[in-house]
Amino acid sequence: MQEFMLFIRTEGDPWQVLSPEQMQLHIQKGANYIGNLMKQGKLKGAQPLDATGTIIGDVGGILKDGPFNETKEVIAGYFHIVANDIEEAKEIAKANPIFEDKLKARIEVRPIRIVEGIND
Amino acid sequence: MIAVLTRIFGSENVELAEDTVQDALIEAINHWTYKGIPENPTAWLFKVAKNKALNILNREKYKKQHVSDVAHYLQSEWTADPALNYLFSDQEILDDQLRMMFTCCHPSISSDSQIALTLKTLCGFSIPEIAKAFITAEENINKRLVRARQKIRENKIPFEVPQAKDLEKKLNTVLETIYLLFNEGYSASKGNDLIRYELCEEAIRLAEIIETHPAIQDKSNVYSLLSLMQLNASRFKSRQDNEGNILTMAEQDRSLWDYSLIEKGILNLHKSTVSNHVSVYHILAAISGCHCTASDFDSTDWQTILLLYDQLLQLDPSPLVLLNRSVVLSKVKGPQFALEELKRINTNPSLKSYYLFYSTEAEFYINMEEYDKAISSLKRAIELSHLKAEKSLLQKKLDRLQKKA
Repeated sequence: MQEFMLFIRTEGDPWQVLSPEQMQLHIQKGANYIGNLMKQGKLKGAQPLDATGTIIGDVGGILKDGPFNETKEVIAGYFHIVANDIEEAKEIAKANPIFEDKLKARIEVRPIRIVEGIND
Repeated sequence: MIAVLTRIFGSENVELAEDTVQDALIEAINHWTYKGIPENPTAWLFKVAKNKALNILNREKYKKQHVSDVAHYLQSEWTADPALNYLFSDQEILDDQLRMMFTCCHPSISSDSQIALTLKTLCGFSIPEIAKAFITAEENINKRLVRARQKIRENKIPFEVPQAKDLEKKLNTVLETIYLLFNEGYSASKGNDLIRYELCEEAIRLAEIIETHPAIQDKSNVYSLLSLMQLNASRFKSRQDNEGNILTMAEQDRSLWDYSLIEKGILNLHKSTVSNHVSVYHILAAISGCHCTASDFDSTDWQTILLLYDQLLQLDPSPLVLLNRSVVLSKVKGPQFALEELKRINTNPSLKSYYLFYSTEAEFYINMEEYDKAISSLKRAIELSHLKAEKSLLQKKLDRLQKKA
């Protein structure tokens, strides 16, 4: 078993295109998706990120923070999961209802590196 | 419901879980008296409890700490709702009840407190009900509960089913507590009969939860305990006459026995013998089974029962077992033989002050028609017995004897 982070990457607010009824349905699908992962013991946590916030960066030796560029891709939330291998993690990502509902989003699947020994 | 909430809040907050359920019930009753009982009261109640759980976790106090693994789920917008549905699903409720049993029956908690906490959290008994069942003051029950919760906090007793190595030992403690609970209900005729029978039913229900649970693999002891309790409970209603006098096995009206329970008990007894392991429960269940399957007192298979008692002695060589065995011995080999046996054990201090020793002795003398000796034994038994129903049973016997002698 290996742990993975699935980052939901979106541009702007992809959910905006949904009507209230569609949104309701989408939430229901999301709840089923998450419920199934829990039942299988594959979900460690999942949290949405607020669209506000800032980016800290080194600009010419000075640490500056600036707002996100709304048109650029940002991380809208994450799923912290457990899977047998990257293939299964990919399958889990593909099953996310954002794809079924054709929302403008991508999911980045990244294995979490675990400690292999301490160098001292 | 308390079990599920304990999982959410963590075992150190078991009282918070109890209070939350209490709140939800009060809210439900207020709402229902005002608006009428909803179509699905259980679902309604769960919904109230779910909301209360979320509100509590969102309080500042708990925001900073992950009180349990699942509390993390409940604090995220994406996972809170699915997590609540998952936690309140039938399978998870069963799992949590099993976890709760292991938490309540942790060996570091005294058995009095174990039973009180089990009744409060798993059987939905209120403090006054528990006090009534134990014929003690509510204050005492409250003290036992406080001590139990304190132990859970101090020893950081987890809310989980123990791992393989620990499981067998801890499961035995849970089974012992269940058996004690059963015996509280079954023994003698003190207190309210209805409540006492409920204790027996609850003990059986808890054992059934363990029996159906896939996490427990070696169920030999579970089956045998379940069998023992079902077989004994089947005779519950025939043990007293209408005036509340205790009836002996020979006097009981066997048509009052609960034959569907006997059937279940025998079935579980068979299941318990699949492995070669033999526990005290196995033998006691088999003995009870012999009584339950005899069509009348005279056709009781005393020979087999004696063999079972011989086996029981090897596992539990206590004076009480010896005493009970002597009764069987008198049926198989005659009262003279049984009396000799009694003489061998009558130096035991705990038996010397036990009324059943003398009433048993009296019974043997009666069989041998030595009425004077029987009368003096009976008098001693009456002196030592504490319960009204027992005293009156012995007194009746004495009156009959004195007419004869």
